[in-house]
Amino acid sequence: MSSTSPTPDHGAQPAVAVSDVTKSYGGRRAVDEVSLEVRRGEFFGLLGPNGAGKSTLVEIMEGLRKADSGSVTVFGESPWPRNTGLLPRMGVQTQSSAFFVRQTVHEHLRTVAALFGADREAVDATLDAVGLGGRHGVRVDDLSGGQRQRLAIASALVHGPELIFLDEPTASLDPEGRRDLWEVLRGLKAEGRTIVYTTHHLDEAEALCDRVGILVAGRLVVTDAPQNLIGTFGATSRLLVPLGRIDERKAASLPGVDGVTVQGGHLVLETRATGQVLAALDPLTGLDGVQTRTPSLEDVYLDITARQTQAQTQTQTPHTSNNQEQQA
Amino acid sequence: MSAYSALTAAGYRAQVRDKTTVFFTFAFPLIFLVVFGLIFRGREVEQSGFSYLSYTAAGVLSWGVANAAVFGIGFTLMQWRADDILRMIRMSPAPLSSVIGSRYVLALGVGLVQSVLFVGVAMLPGFDLVPASRWPLLIPVMVLGITTFLLLGVIVGSIADTPESVAGIANFLMLPMAFLSGSFFPLDAMPDWLQKVSLVMPLRYLNDAVSAALTGRGDLSDIGVGCAGLVGFAVVFGVVAARTFRWTKSS
Repeated sequence: MSSTSPTPDHGAQPAVAVSDVTKSYGGRRAVDEVSLEVRRGEFFGLLGPNGAGKSTLVEIMEGLRKADSGSVTVFGESPWPRNTGLLPRMGVQTQSSAFFVRQTVHEHLRTVAALFGADREAVDATLDAVGLGGRHGVRVDDLSGGQRQRLAIASALVHGPELIFLDEPTASLDPEGRRDLWEVLRGLKAEGRTIVYTTHHLDEAEALCDRVGILVAGRLVVTDAPQNLIGTFGATSRLLVPLGRIDERKAASLPGVDGVTVQGGHLVLETRATGQVLAALDPLTGLDGVQTRTPSLEDVYLDITARQTQAQTQTQTPHTSNNQEQQA
Repeated sequence: MSAYSALTAAGYRAQVRDKTTVFFTFAFPLIFLVVFGLIFRGREVEQSGFSYLSYTAAGVLSWGVANAAVFGIGFTLMQWRADDILRMIRMSPAPLSSVIGSRYVLALGVGLVQSVLFVGVAMLPGFDLVPASRWPLLIPVMVLGITTFLLLGVIVGSIADTPESVAGIANFLMLPMAFLSGSFFPLDAMPDWLQKVSLVMPLRYLNDAVSAALTGRGDLSDIGVGCAGLVGFAVVFGVVAARTFRWTKSS
């Protein structure tokens, strides 16, 4: 990665500002009056089911598509039409097919670097950073799926952009590869770079993102820090009590318990007041062997998308209800 | 390294590493030369007194060079758009001129090698082509011809979204044009109205200019008219190419 360092005036002006953006294809609204700000130095996750409009929204932010209405600025400038003053400050992860044919890994990234005017040292450093340091001489056509993905990410980073757009960057990586990439991404954030990324890995979004936005059927339903979302939406915690310690009826009557089920060798108590239930359990069963499962971003996400999708289908006529399948 | 030189280097590597395409790009016109040489051996074109071979050599060379220019950039642009390479370039500050410019230099290189190889073979005993003394004029003529047909190839590569459609559209344009422009058969042998039709084909102008420069048919004014025709078509194709060019599949 080259040494272009991000401008230090954090918060002066958002990295990306999207205001009332709408984009339709045919009669369908792919993006529906979305407003959003990504602050400088922020790690922002855009979540949502397939076909929710994530790609379209990101492409509008990148300046690849023109919004039908509303406004978009990146570092205070409009990215559309092609803004060559802005492009060196942005890095966009390419498709894993976007490699110059019959080139080696190093040759490909060297060519990409030259498009941005980045130097050769940046190529070596970036390949090391994404874990392709030992693969310089391999033809791009001979790379594995995970390696192709790393090279696609490297293509977004090689010129040291301030704002980085990543599209499901860990999708075809193995667990080790994912964790390695998390470190790369955390490193980029630590350098003050802004990252906007889409993912279906909710654990990853929870671990990495400062804030996430959840997009359902073109609408931005909620934007907040993952921990705030989990708190606000009050998803339930679950306490796992080994079977035989307390009977089901008695457990259900404890203060703070919302529901009781049996799963595997455990009685599962659902609650929004973990402390209260634990305090009540302690004198009855002791806490030895009792496990606590706190809600995750995934629980909140599934809850929100299910509710939204339900609300949508109720207001939609049957023949339009499967439109969102079209855009993955 | 500039975007232009990096793209040229990557394009050069991609080209020389694809041995099959290299072979056929250069062998294709030679095969036609051999075939026509066998068919028309020893016969002369009526009126002009030039041998058929000297006639077809210029025509086949023009067609071969034009064909390579159209197909080369047509396939590349289509493939780069399908693979999102154009999208990646679109998201970099590199100008479109560096993309087209790099392909232009590569096409000129291909045209140069094709011409040298072709003329070299045509001069061998059995074909007996004797280049006219003004053969150096072939260089600017070929540069103009490659420019014109490269721009036509940009249009083809921008309209087509699959390899099949590039081949379909390019063949649809280039094959009938080869016959109607007199690349394979002398125009003299065609009805008057067909000769007039040939005037709206860019290959006709390249044929005439190459023929005048390489084999000495006609005079300098034929080269001048040929070049003027090519410039005219280049302008038209350039305008259409600028309007049809697409960075991504969906825009």
